[in-house]
Amino acid sequence: MKLEVRNLSFSYDGFRLAVDSLVFAGSRVTSIVGPNGAGKSTFLKCLASVLPSARHALSVDGKDLAGVRGKERARLVGYVPQEPAFTFNYTVLDFVLTGRAAFIGMFSSPSGHDVRLAEEALHYVGLNGQARRPFLELSSGERRLVLIARALVQESEILLLDEPTSFLDPRHEVETMGLCRRLAEDKAKTIIVTLHNLEMAVRYSDAMVFMKGGRVVASGPPRGVLTEALLRDVYDLDMRIVECQGQTFFVK
Amino acid sequence: MTKKTGWLVWASFALPLVLLVLSLNLGSYHIPLKEVWATIFGGTSAAGGPSPYADILFRIRLPRLLLAMFAGAALSVSGASLQALFKNPLVFEFSLGISYGAAFGAALSLVFLGRGFVPQLAAFAFAVVAVVLVLVIAGKSASQIVPVLLSGVIVSALFQALLSLVEFFANPYALQALIFWLLGSLSQAVWGDLAVTLPIIGLGVAVLVLFRWRLNVLSLGDEEARALGVNVRREKALVIAVATLTTAAATSVTGVINWVGLIVPHLVRMMVGADNRKVIPLSAALGASLLIVADDFARSAASFEIPIGILTSVVGIPFFIVLLKRSGKTWL
Amino acid sequence: MIRRLGFGAALVAAAALAAAPRVPSNPQDRPPFVITDNLGRRVEIPGRTGRIISLEPEITRLIVALGGGGRLVGMDFFLRYNDHLFPIIFPAGRGLPVVSNQGQDPNYELVLKLRPDVLFTSPSEYQATENIQRKLGVPVAALASIGKFENLLGEMETVGRILGREARARELSGYFKDRLAAARALLEKVPAGRRPKVYLSFYGSLLRTPVSYEPVDVAGGANCAAGLLPAYLGSAAATVSAEQIIRWDPEVILIQGNYLPVERAVTVESVLADARLASVRAVREKRVYYTFGFWYWWDPALVLLESLYLARLLHPGTSAGFDLEREGDAIFKEFYGVEGAFTALGRMLKCREWLRD
Repeated sequence: MKLEVRNLSFSYDGFRLAVDSLVFAGSRVTSIVGPNGAGKSTFLKCLASVLPSARHALSVDGKDLAGVRGKERARLVGYVPQEPAFTFNYTVLDFVLTGRAAFIGMFSSPSGHDVRLAEEALHYVGLNGQARRPFLELSSGERRLVLIARALVQESEILLLDEPTSFLDPRHEVETMGLCRRLAEDKAKTIIVTLHNLEMAVRYSDAMVFMKGGRVVASGPPRGVLTEALLRDVYDLDMRIVECQGQTFFVK
Repeated sequence: MTKKTGWLVWASFALPLVLLVLSLNLGSYHIPLKEVWATIFGGTSAAGGPSPYADILFRIRLPRLLLAMFAGAALSVSGASLQALFKNPLVFEFSLGISYGAAFGAALSLVFLGRGFVPQLAAFAFAVVAVVLVLVIAGKSASQIVPVLLSGVIVSALFQALLSLVEFFANPYALQALIFWLLGSLSQAVWGDLAVTLPIIGLGVAVLVLFRWRLNVLSLGDEEARALGVNVRREKALVIAVATLTTAAATSVTGVINWVGLIVPHLVRMMVGADNRKVIPLSAALGASLLIVADDFARSAASFEIPIGILTSVVGIPFFIVLLKRSGKTWL
Repeated sequence: MIRRLGFGAALVAAAALAAAPRVPSNPQDRPPFVITDNLGRRVEIPGRTGRIISLEPEITRLIVALGGGGRLVGMDFFLRYNDHLFPIIFPAGRGLPVVSNQGQDPNYELVLKLRPDVLFTSPSEYQATENIQRKLGVPVAALASIGKFENLLGEMETVGRILGREARARELSGYFKDRLAAARALLEKVPAGRRPKVYLSFYGSLLRTPVSYEPVDVAGGANCAAGLLPAYLGSAAATVSAEQIIRWDPEVILIQGNYLPVERAVTVESVLADARLASVRAVREKRVYYTFGFWYWWDPALVLLESLYLARLLHPGTSAGFDLEREGDAIFKEFYGVEGAFTALGRMLKCREWLRD
C-alpha cells in the first residue's frame, strides 16, 4: 500500500513541520533520519494521525486519510510508539489483544479468533511462551517486540515505528530491524521507521528520508541519495562514508 | 482464562448471594432459623394477621440487603472504571467530585425544601453538575489525567464549602438529619425508593460490565487508543457519564459511603491481575459482598446503628494492608 | 380548698410582679459565689449580674420565667430565628442582638462589646466551654437538663441564685413539683405493672429516639429506649432500627410534634401507613399520637403541660375533664405572665387534633 504525503504541515511551540510531497512505497522499509529536533517523531505522529493534519495531506492508495473513520484508519495504519505512555500490569497477551480494538464492538470482548491472532503475532515476533508474563516484567527489547506484535494484530498494511531500536543492545537492534525487513518482504507491508542510527538505516532500508528543521532535505534509495555533502548539510558534521565487507559505515 | 481463575470467578459471583441469604438471619429481632425458611417459602405466619417475621424479612432486611448489594457493586464498578480510564489507581468516585456534589444536593433538599421533596433527585442532579463542572474547568485538557484530577479536587472543595454553608444555616433538627445522612446509612431502605434506584444502578453496572474489555484499550492512554481506532472522546464521555449516574443513584439513597470504590478494585487486581475483563465483574461481586458484610456489622454489632461509612473503612483497609504486604508483586 | 385559693392568689400576685418585663432588677451588691455547672466546672459568679447572655435556649427561657428577661443583652441564633414559642413568651427578644449560631461558637468581639456579667452555654463539650471562658474572661456556666426533671429543677434554683431571684425560683419549682405530684397522685390509682411501653420518635426521624424522657415516666409510661447509650455525650438521642422497634412492640408511639406541621418529617399518618410496623401493637390499635418533645431541651412551662397531657393520653381514665388549651394557658401565665400563650402555640402546631376522642 502506498502512503502519499502532500502539503503536510504542523506547528507547535514555534516549531514548524512542513513536508511538500513524499511517497512511501509498499513492501518497503523506509527510514526517516535526521538530527535531534528535526521533527522525525512529530512527522511520524502526523502520519499516524495521532497529531492532526489537514485534509488531503495524507492518502493511502489514493484515498484521503482524513475522510476515513477511526476504526478504518486503524486497520490501514498501525503506530508503534517507543514506549507505552503508561500501563497497568497487563499480561503480554492482554496487551497485544488491545490491538484488536478496531475489530471488536464497543460492548464486546475478544473472541477465540482474536486470541489466536494475538498468539500468532507473538510467535512471529519471537515471543511465544511469554504470553502470560506481566508486561512490566519484560526487558526493553521484549517490550518493543510486544508493541510490534500489537501492531500486527491490527492487520494494518502500513506500520509506523518510532525509534524502534533506541536503548536496545546490538543483538536486539538487529532482531528488531530484521523483523521489520521480514514484515516488508514476507507480508508486503509498508514499513516506516524513524532511526538515529545511520548504519542501521542504510543496512535495513529500501529508502531513506533525511529531515532537518522540520523539512525533508532528501529522499530516495540509500545508495542513490547518500553523499558526504548531504551528511554535512543535515548533521552539521563532517563524516566519511566507508564501505567495508559489503556494509556502509560512517566515520565522524 | 485459566481453570483456576474460572473457578474463582464463579465463586465470586456466588458470594454475594450466599451472604445475602446468610445475612437474612441477622438482626436485632431474633428469628429462629426454621422460621426464616418457613416465612420465606410460606409467606405469612400460621396465626394469620400481620406477622412480624414477614414484615422484618421482606420489608426491613431484604430491601436493606439488596440495597447493600447494589450500592456496593455500583461504587466498586464505578471506581474500577474510573481508575482504568484515568490510568490512576488513586481515582474513584470521590475524585470527580461526585460524592460531595451528591451530598450537597441532598443537603440542599433536606434543609431548604423539607419534606416535600425527596433528597434523591437533588443529590442526583448535583452529582451530574459536579462532573460537568470538573470537565468544563479542565477544558481542553479534559483528556489528560492531571488537569482532570485537579479540577476534581477543586470541585470537591467547592461543594464541601457549599455544604458547610448549608449546615451553617440549617436549623438544628434538619442539621442532625443531614449529618446522619452524610455518614452513610442503609437503614432507610424502603421498597418505594428502591423501585427506582435499583434498576438504574443495575443498568449502569451492566453497561460498565459490557464495556469491560474496552477499558483495557482506553487505559493505554488517549494517543495510543486513538491510534488503535477508538473514538476516545465519545467512549470516555460514556464511561464517565455512566459511572457518575450509577454512583449518584446509589449515593442519593445511602448517603456518602467512601472508600469502597477505591479499595475493592485494588483488592481484585491483587487477586486476578489488571485485565478489566475480570476486574470489572469481580469488583461488582466483591463490592456487593463487602457492603453486605459491613452492613451486617453496622446493624448487629451494637444496640445502636454504626454509620456504615465508618465500617467500610474499618473492614476494607486492614484487609487491603494484609494483602498488600503478602503479595510482593506490583499491584497496579 | 381555701388554702389552695389563697396559695393560688399569692402565686398569681407574685407572677404578676415577677413578670413585669423590661425593668432591669437591681441586684444588691453581693459577694461573688461559686456554682458547679453540668460539666462539673466550678464557676465563680460575680455579685452583680445585670447583663446576661444565654446561648442555651432552655436557660434563656428560665431567665425570662424568673423575671430576668430585661437583663438579657444577647441571644442565640436558634431562639431568634427557629423557635416559634419564644417570640410569644418574650416578644422583647426580637430586639436583642444574635451572638452565636450553634451555641458553641459565639461572636467573641460582639460578646465583648456587650459586656455581659455572665454567659450561659450548652454542656455538649467541655473544651469549647473552657475556651469561651478563657477567651472572653467572662464566667461561663454550662447548664442543660438533658431530659431529667431533677436537672431542670436544679437549674431553676441555680439560675435563680445567679439572678438574685431565689424567691421566685422557689415559687416556680414549687408550682412545678406540686402540679406533678397531683398528677402522680391520680396515677396511683392505676394498678402496678400497667405502665404501657412507649416508643418516642423524635428529631424528625422514625429511628431516632431519646434514651431518657422524664415526662413519659411521670405520666406512667415506660420509655422503650431507656437504657440505651446516647449517640454522643451531652445529647439524649440514640438511633435504633425498625427491627428493634418491632422487637420492643410498644403500645403507644409518640411523635415529636413541636415542629410546625409542614416541617414534620414523621407524621401520625406516615407511621400508621408504614408497612414495616404493621405488626406493632401501637400501629394495630392506632395509638400513635403527637407530643411536644425536646426543642433545644425544654421550655419549663411546656414540659409541665406535656407531662399532664401524657398522663391523660397514656391513662385516659385518670384525668377526665382535661382541657389542653385551658391548662396550657394557665401554666404559661404562671411562668411567663403572658395571656393565651399556649393557645397561640397550639394554633401553630394544630394541637386541637392531638387529643382525638
